[in-house]
Amino acid sequence: MRFESETQHAPRTGLILLQALILGLFCLFTLRFWYLQVHKGEYFAKQALDNQMRQMLIHSARGRVWDRNGVPVAVSEPSFALGLVREDCEDVDKTLDKVAEWTGADRQALTETFKRGKKRVKPFEPLILVTDLPFDALARIEANSVFWPGLRIVVRQKRHYPEGDLLAHVLGYVAEANEEELEANPALALGDSVGKQGLELTLEDRLRGEKGRKQVEVDALGRQHNEQVLLEPEAGSNIQLSIDLGLQRRCAELLEGQAGAIVVMQPDTGKVLALVSRPSFDNNLFVLGVPTDKWKEIRDNPMHPIQNRTTQGVYPPGSIFKLLMAAAGLAGGYITPETRALCTGSYKVGNRDFHCWKKGGHGNLDLEEALVHSCDVYFYKLGERMGIDKIHDFAESVGFGQPTGVDLPHEKGGLMPSKEWKKKRFGQPWSRGETINASIGQGHVLVSPLQVARFVSSLINGGKLLKPLLVDTDEPVVQGTLPLKDEYRELIAKAMVETTERGTARSIKRTDATMGGKTGTAQVVKLIDANNRRKTEDMPYKYRDHAWLASFGDKNGERYVVVCLVEHGGHGGTAGGPIVKAVYDYLYGEDPGVKTAHAPKAPQTAQDAGASPPAAPAGTAEPDIPEAGD
Amino acid sequence: MPFDRRLILCVNWPLLGLAFALFGVGVLNLYSASGFRMGDEVSLMPFYNKQLIWGLAGLCCMLVSVLFDYKRLAAAAWPLMCVTLVLLALVLVAGKTVSGSKRWLDLGAFNFQPSELAKIAMLILAAKLLSKRSEMLGWLELFQIMAVGLVPALLIIVEPDLGSGLSVLLLLFGLILYRGIAASVLKVIAVLAPALVPCGWFFLRPYQKQRILTLLDPEKDPLGSGYHIIQSRIAIGSGQMWGKGFLEGTQSQLRYLPEKHTDFAIAVFAEEWGFVGSIVLLALFCLFLYQIYVTAKKSKDRFGSFLAAGVFFYFFWQILINMGMVLGIMPVVGIPLPFISYGGSATIVNFALVGIVVNVSMRRFMFKKN
Repeated sequence: MRFESETQHAPRTGLILLQALILGLFCLFTLRFWYLQVHKGEYFAKQALDNQMRQMLIHSARGRVWDRNGVPVAVSEPSFALGLVREDCEDVDKTLDKVAEWTGADRQALTETFKRGKKRVKPFEPLILVTDLPFDALARIEANSVFWPGLRIVVRQKRHYPEGDLLAHVLGYVAEANEEELEANPALALGDSVGKQGLELTLEDRLRGEKGRKQVEVDALGRQHNEQVLLEPEAGSNIQLSIDLGLQRRCAELLEGQAGAIVVMQPDTGKVLALVSRPSFDNNLFVLGVPTDKWKEIRDNPMHPIQNRTTQGVYPPGSIFKLLMAAAGLAGGYITPETRALCTGSYKVGNRDFHCWKKGGHGNLDLEEALVHSCDVYFYKLGERMGIDKIHDFAESVGFGQPTGVDLPHEKGGLMPSKEWKKKRFGQPWSRGETINASIGQGHVLVSPLQVARFVSSLINGGKLLKPLLVDTDEPVVQGTLPLKDEYRELIAKAMVETTERGTARSIKRTDATMGGKTGTAQVVKLIDANNRRKTEDMPYKYRDHAWLASFGDKNGERYVVVCLVEHGGHGGTAGGPIVKAVYDYLYGEDPGVKTAHAPKAPQTAQDAGASPPAAPAGTAEPDIPEAGD
Repeated sequence: MPFDRRLILCVNWPLLGLAFALFGVGVLNLYSASGFRMGDEVSLMPFYNKQLIWGLAGLCCMLVSVLFDYKRLAAAAWPLMCVTLVLLALVLVAGKTVSGSKRWLDLGAFNFQPSELAKIAMLILAAKLLSKRSEMLGWLELFQIMAVGLVPALLIIVEPDLGSGLSVLLLLFGLILYRGIAASVLKVIAVLAPALVPCGWFFLRPYQKQRILTLLDPEKDPLGSGYHIIQSRIAIGSGQMWGKGFLEGTQSQLRYLPEKHTDFAIAVFAEEWGFVGSIVLLALFCLFLYQIYVTAKKSKDRFGSFLAAGVFFYFFWQILINMGMVLGIMPVVGIPLPFISYGGSATIVNFALVGIVVNVSMRRFMFKKN
């Protein structure tokens, strides 16, 4: 254009300056954009993603537990917990003060909880401060939540056991996971419940389920958008117990006021229909952390309600052990069913006399008779012949001296002594007298009620040593076989039947079912002298004998094994008989044949027979009165 | 007045085109910046359509500023400055106080910010005064012009509105540089200026100091004063080479980015269009400035050239300061990016100033005639 050639009116330096500024602007910002978007682009892209995406856990529902008839015995109920989202909280100390004021929680404990939680809970997730908020606290917090950003009401599940103490030993309980449990299992979050005792502990993996994960987009205000479930939570499996709640309740009633245990088992499957240990405790108390005073009360109770006497209580078996001795003798070829022995009322080992419970002696008897009449001398002689190590080996091979493997924690295995054990334990050699004691289930021998139930089952189920099952859907687990010929096994079972016909277990006899039984009276203290022997009622509680009754019943193929132990109950037949009878009454219904002749059981007058060295006082051996000894 | 075809021929069409292009990009970007993620949906705030209305108003103002001969502005320079000073004084007495500073006059229908007017008045007056003579500035003339500029600037700074006050001074400063300073004066200034910078530090308010410190180390207070810078850098950086796509910016939609439709609007753009888009936008700005430069160069009188240069600096400083802030190389100062940031009066002023440059460009032939 022609104007271009005109005189330049713009200042030259100024124009150069403008050009330079444009160029400088372009270069400066191009470099900066390059640095941010290309050079460090990936870094910032990740930061944006961190800003935006958050992974959160979805809690899974813990499996429910029913009894065999579908009655719920462990359920999860929604409960409200108070959580703190650190990211949104302006003043943690003040907020904790407020929480303490509202909920009555201990301020110090809250600080502790907060400190522990900080390590595990992400800043944008609620850190659970108080669980199971009562309704009034909930209302107060809701009303004030605007002023306390960061406080969140969270719905969590709370375990509830409708039957409380009835199944406390079986179910155990859940409680808040502690530091070690959190450490051991990364899937656990603070405030989560885990099984601590009982089936809740052993079946934890089946009950807990898998937490899910979700991804949410979170904006700068903390609001969540576009929730996307990455992993569906998997609810825990529901579990149906083999326990029959009605039976369990009946058994608990029967033991009311006493310390003892009852095991009811299906001999062919190993399924446990009742597993009762008394006294018991309310396991609901433990779910939210048991208050100190309650805990003291439970812990200091001399009856030890926490202990599960069916699996953790181990006692001398007393005469029940003769079943095992008979089996061991037959299996090892030390005796045959025809082997006879003479009982004169006592047996001399070295310079010491070991008495039969029957002062005058039983005379000459064979194995079956020895079992039915529970002759001590017969088994003293058998024990002498076998030696403790053979007894030990056989007992171990049929499951004594070791846990049964039932799905309950902290099961005790009891004790089957041996020479080696004595050496190790006491540094002393085994003495002959100890073998004699062990032969009738005294001395060092210790067994649990569940072990006895399992052994008795094996006597009538074809020799299968079954794992005791608590879950109804579990398939029977054969852990071993009784190393005993069928005819021998049947002989022992027959002797048990005879014992209910005319022996110490007459009280459980029924007209409509084949019953077998063996009583045991396990000494708590050694009574040297027969003259010191007193009636049970006259002895201080803690010195009284433990009463055992192991039994089976078969009514048209419907078979059960019932084992009852009453701590310090005195004589097995006296204390255990009525209880076991009542259990069978529940299982089979009232015996139609003895409705009128139901009268008091004979053994009640013949209670005092000692299981072991001491002899029964005179006058208990009248012919029509069944032997009190076991 | 008979219409002269050359009026149309000489219009700086590329400048107009670039201004409209930038405004278009701005509205498009505001559309995205208006979005907030609500649940699974995106809800829109009405910024982009409001901005369109402001744009129309700006277009009208541009037409007005094109119609008259720009040389008449020289005559209006002093009266305009006087009115401005009165209004600035009025603000200090009867202004509306918003978050501790008096910046606005409540005119009923809308709030008027006299500091905006002060920039225009300063631009015209400085162009008039500096274009009178052509030699490099000496001490005397420098002091005179500084005295003229300092009065409105100080009135604004005590409001307090440091950003606008400095803008006025920077505008003046740019024009002084455009005119050129005598070598002897320049040497003295080059020595003294660095010494004055630390002194200036003591006049800053605590929050202003904080902003400067934050720029040096934003991670020191990531949720407080550093938040803007950190989130802005994340938004821009995460755009990477090609961007997240239009309406796909997460930093923006999820509200991590503060002030995203005003001061930080370009961060939204950079997040969604990536390095490539950012450079295109930067290039548009540079071309836009270049066209103003062309008009300043071709102007046939000194006043016209200085007017165009003044407009150049008006835009240049805003672009430099805003982008510098958003990109994290300058302290956070509330200065919008022309055409991209939302803002009614800014849009109107921007278009009016483009109109003045067009005015200068289209009337260059008139000198030939005379």
